[in-house]
Amino acid sequence: MKHINISLYASEGPLCKTGKKWDLRGSRGGAGGFGGRVMRKVGIAVLAALCLSACSTPNRNALDNNDPYEAANRSVFELNQTIDSLTLRPTTERYNNYVPEGVRDGIHNALENLALPVTFANDLMQAEPKRAGQTLGRFMMNSSFGIAGLFDVASRAGIPEHKEDFSQTLAVWGVGEGPYLMLPFLGPSSPRDMVGMGADFALDPTLYIRIKQHIWWIAGREYVTILDRRARNLETLDDIERDSLDFYATSRSLYRQYRAKEIRNGSPRPENPN
Amino acid sequence: MRDSFLKQSLAKALSFAFFLGLLFAVAGLSAAPASAATPAEQFVTDNVQQGLTILNNAQLSKEQRRAQFRDYLLGLTDIKRIAEYTLGQYRRTASPDELAAYGAAFKDYAVTVYQSYFTKYSGQTLQVTGSYPLGSDESVVKTVMIDPKKPNAKPLQVNFRVLSQGGRFYVIDFSVEGVWIREMERSDFTSYLGQNNGNIALLTASLKKKATQIK
Repeated sequence: MKHINISLYASEGPLCKTGKKWDLRGSRGGAGGFGGRVMRKVGIAVLAALCLSACSTPNRNALDNNDPYEAANRSVFELNQTIDSLTLRPTTERYNNYVPEGVRDGIHNALENLALPVTFANDLMQAEPKRAGQTLGRFMMNSSFGIAGLFDVASRAGIPEHKEDFSQTLAVWGVGEGPYLMLPFLGPSSPRDMVGMGADFALDPTLYIRIKQHIWWIAGREYVTILDRRARNLETLDDIERDSLDFYATSRSLYRQYRAKEIRNGSPRPENPN
Repeated sequence: MRDSFLKQSLAKALSFAFFLGLLFAVAGLSAAPASAATPAEQFVTDNVQQGLTILNNAQLSKEQRRAQFRDYLLGLTDIKRIAEYTLGQYRRTASPDELAAYGAAFKDYAVTVYQSYFTKYSGQTLQVTGSYPLGSDESVVKTVMIDPKKPNAKPLQVNFRVLSQGGRFYVIDFSVEGVWIREMERSDFTSYLGQNNGNIALLTASLKKKATQIK
């Protein structure tokens, strides 16, 4: 069951990095095969989504919310909720209870630091030299003075943090997000986010470091990333679920708004939502 | 020989990259120019911290705190406007009676929910960082919540949408990390109504139930 824990609710990061359960084609070996495999998985998932669309007739509400596969998405959402309550939530609760906050913060910082090369590449592709400089500066400082990223000394020095991914880069380039998709294990997404996940996976330099048993590095990192993210959102998501009448619709709005804000890099909303 | 040369070059390249990184970082630090607070910014500065103070006041009993926060929040916000906004397209077809009952239930629900959100930040300090206009009579005031226990952590971005009407200001929405609560509620409620034939009385009953559960 471990693979479920590994990939559940990852709103970013590539599709099924563990490469076990979902590796439909089998490992080709070596780092070079990953990109192709990921793209193939994206293709299969998009095909699956199209098949689902053929057997459901979206109602007006679903179309208004750019969620034509709402019925299918809701089933997957329910599945994810069940898996979460059985596996990820208990693990996360233990993690929060037994691991001291300082250690959890250190782990979070180290993971954020590992993600910086991908952010840097996307900063450059979005033609944001200032933000690219901040990312590079953070990576240099935190990797060295911050002891492999465990301590966020760059923030103390006043270099603000931010995150970029390839889906955001595509958005900056003018690619639309496409319909809302709820992926099994991986949580809310969209076709653009799925392509972005694959590209970010391929952009990650650690993918190309040749070490033995590389898969364990990828799986271990992904496992801790998901645990960290779930642990940090546990309370907030619980509250939102408690307050909402339709948690599916609420979380869809939450995901969309949050992604839109990340794409705008916090600058004002161009549209007036009224 | 060649090996050590390589090592030296690598070390040089790395240190160069390091300083380049630092240089960029320093360049990125250029602070935004300070300017006088707009009236909307002043309104948020004056009022929102007051709400946090109520929630942080250990002298009050649970009921007193809730009552004070309720008065405070209803004085600060245009809750009727928020309530009607969250109905989306269903507002147009609702009868006045339905709207009134819904408005009352929403008020109770919103006070409870917003109190639970802001209680999380009660020990923190709010700092207005700027604002931008949104149409002729609205603006968004940007703030950050600074946790005195974690001064170096990335501060939480909390924004307030402020409406200027009849010579005074009202808060009509707020966002945490880019997620606007009113938008989220509208998605929630319209989706619920969509599944229940647009039955606003049912929504009203559900909100009442929720508010009691959360309290």
